[in-house]
Amino acid sequence: MPANKKHLTPSFHQRFAKITAGIIGGFVITSALFLVLAMLTDHVIVLMTLKFAGFMVWCALVIVPFLFKNGWKAWGLYLVAILLLLSILYIIKTQSPELLSIL
Amino acid sequence: MSKRIYNVFFHTHTVSGLVISVALFVIFFAGSISFFRDEIINWERQQPIADNTQMDIDFDLALDSIAARHNLYGRDITIRQIHEERRVMVAITPSKDTAAVEEAQNRAFFYQDPTTQESFTYFEDFTLGEFIYRLHFFAQIPYPYGYLLSGFVAFFFLFAIVTGVLVHWKKIISNFYLFRPWAKLKTLWTDAHTALGLIGLPFQFVYALTGAVLIIGTSIMLSSASSFLYNGDSAKLTEDLSSDVAVYPFANQPDSVDFSINEMVKQAEQKWESVYASKVVVQNYGDANMHIAVDVKPTDDEQFAGLGQLAFKASTGEVVFERNPYGETSYVAGVQDFLIKLHYGNFGGYPLKIIYFIFGIITCFVIISGVLIWVEARDKKSNTPFKRKANQWVASIFLAVSLTMYPVTALSFSVIKIFKEVNDPTPHLLIFKVFFLSWLALSILFSIKRDNYFTNKWTLLLGSLLGFLVPVANGIETGNWFWKTFNPEQLQLFVVDVFWLITSGITLIIFLKIKPRMEETKVVSSSAGNSKYPAKRPAKPKLQPANTGG
Repeated sequence: MPANKKHLTPSFHQRFAKITAGIIGGFVITSALFLVLAMLTDHVIVLMTLKFAGFMVWCALVIVPFLFKNGWKAWGLYLVAILLLLSILYIIKTQSPELLSIL
Repeated sequence: MSKRIYNVFFHTHTVSGLVISVALFVIFFAGSISFFRDEIINWERQQPIADNTQMDIDFDLALDSIAARHNLYGRDITIRQIHEERRVMVAITPSKDTAAVEEAQNRAFFYQDPTTQESFTYFEDFTLGEFIYRLHFFAQIPYPYGYLLSGFVAFFFLFAIVTGVLVHWKKIISNFYLFRPWAKLKTLWTDAHTALGLIGLPFQFVYALTGAVLIIGTSIMLSSASSFLYNGDSAKLTEDLSSDVAVYPFANQPDSVDFSINEMVKQAEQKWESVYASKVVVQNYGDANMHIAVDVKPTDDEQFAGLGQLAFKASTGEVVFERNPYGETSYVAGVQDFLIKLHYGNFGGYPLKIIYFIFGIITCFVIISGVLIWVEARDKKSNTPFKRKANQWVASIFLAVSLTMYPVTALSFSVIKIFKEVNDPTPHLLIFKVFFLSWLALSILFSIKRDNYFTNKWTLLLGSLLGFLVPVANGIETGNWFWKTFNPEQLQLFVVDVFWLITSGITLIIFLKIKPRMEETKVVSSSAGNSKYPAKRPAKPKLQPANTGG
């Protein structure tokens, strides 16, 4: 009954990559995703939604890296997503600060 | 799902579940009892209140007596009674008057007894009910670590639930009907774990999610929003996400006017059908711009979530703001209400509380059976004797810590009833000592005994006997025997006594019914690692039984 070891990730650094990608990377993606939405739409509603739905999104993002054989590839994918979202945030904040003024 | 993914998820479910097991058990056990938090507190103080009498107090008298003790000018005073207790909660903000005396520049929080007008600090007010409630989110561990721990346990519980469902998905229907109590222990635990886990799934999902939201929803989840969108101004964020009546500016002109909060509350409660006052806020006390905001909520059978508000200007008594509780409920107020009601289970009276309590205990059982599966599945010849022994130690310590919570809780009730003094300024010391020391002692004893069957049987017996003592202690100490308290005024006392009678009765029956199993006696009598075990099949993982049907 215990999970068959031959299917499990053997090395420490692989496990480390998957767990950190999920917990840290997943959290950053969740936050950034909701922040982009908050800036483009009604921020109060989006932030209230983030407060509870954020945990569901984050939980899903903790699971996803375990689908990968190579945990560092999961980190790579997450980094791309993070960079994309953060650059959107940066562009909005510098190029159209009027969107922020609603706050 | 490929074989690899299945095994990976299986492993994440095992590991995440094991890591949080003890903490999660404590959370669920203390949380289940906390459904009766208010009853326990009133039982302890002998101050029951009738159902639906919260906020039925003389606000004017209370405010006058508060004003006599505190310098209130320019401060906001919030009066609430979120618990079904006699005492109301009073929170006072720092004064907006920059020249205010030092006392008025700090916030204040205390409980006010509307009958005697006495006030109590948080620690003077401390009770066993509050202790168990706070144990439920590890508030005894210094802030913020206890909160963070319980919040992350809730989040990893959510993770364990989702991975558990993923692993179980293919056999979710067929295994639900599978129960083989006479098979080997591992099979028994597995069947119980999956069937009860499925029955409790919606409940557990709701609790994992709302629990995480209530405890780390703001501090963790909204941290990035607070720093990025609000540039660290978390007060502004809190204000945006709150449904309080907007703050009226402070005029800094002392003005003494006659006003009656009682009249305003009455007016608010009569304005709409079947609503009750939930909160009264006095803004800018004693100022020319003093306002009083009264929040009302629809009763639960009228509407699940809804918030009505009336704000009055104190000097003229006119209504300056109005929100209809049956009109459109704002998203923020609705979400807040849903999260709290779902988690506190306080919208359906005692029937709902009892069902929730049973589900909470079922979840405790799912946690225990999960750990026992883990031990049984690794108790085989392919594992080294050292590993098998270590696993059995883990299991016996886990069981000892978890199961002794029952007798320890029962013991604490009687001890508090008999030995706690009404005027003790530090009641938490006695509660901490009784609960934590007896818990520690029993945990160590049962861990050393290292016999799961023994632990199970004797914690049940101890808990039953101590539980039967609770109504007796209460009867002797106060004369409020449970056959006298079955009336609307004292129902809360009755509930606690009868709760202990019923749970003790049930656990006593279980104690009498359980018998050692052949397999288990062998485990007990043989030191782990030798070859006395009944011949178990070699460790060939058989993960997908033939009857999968898909």
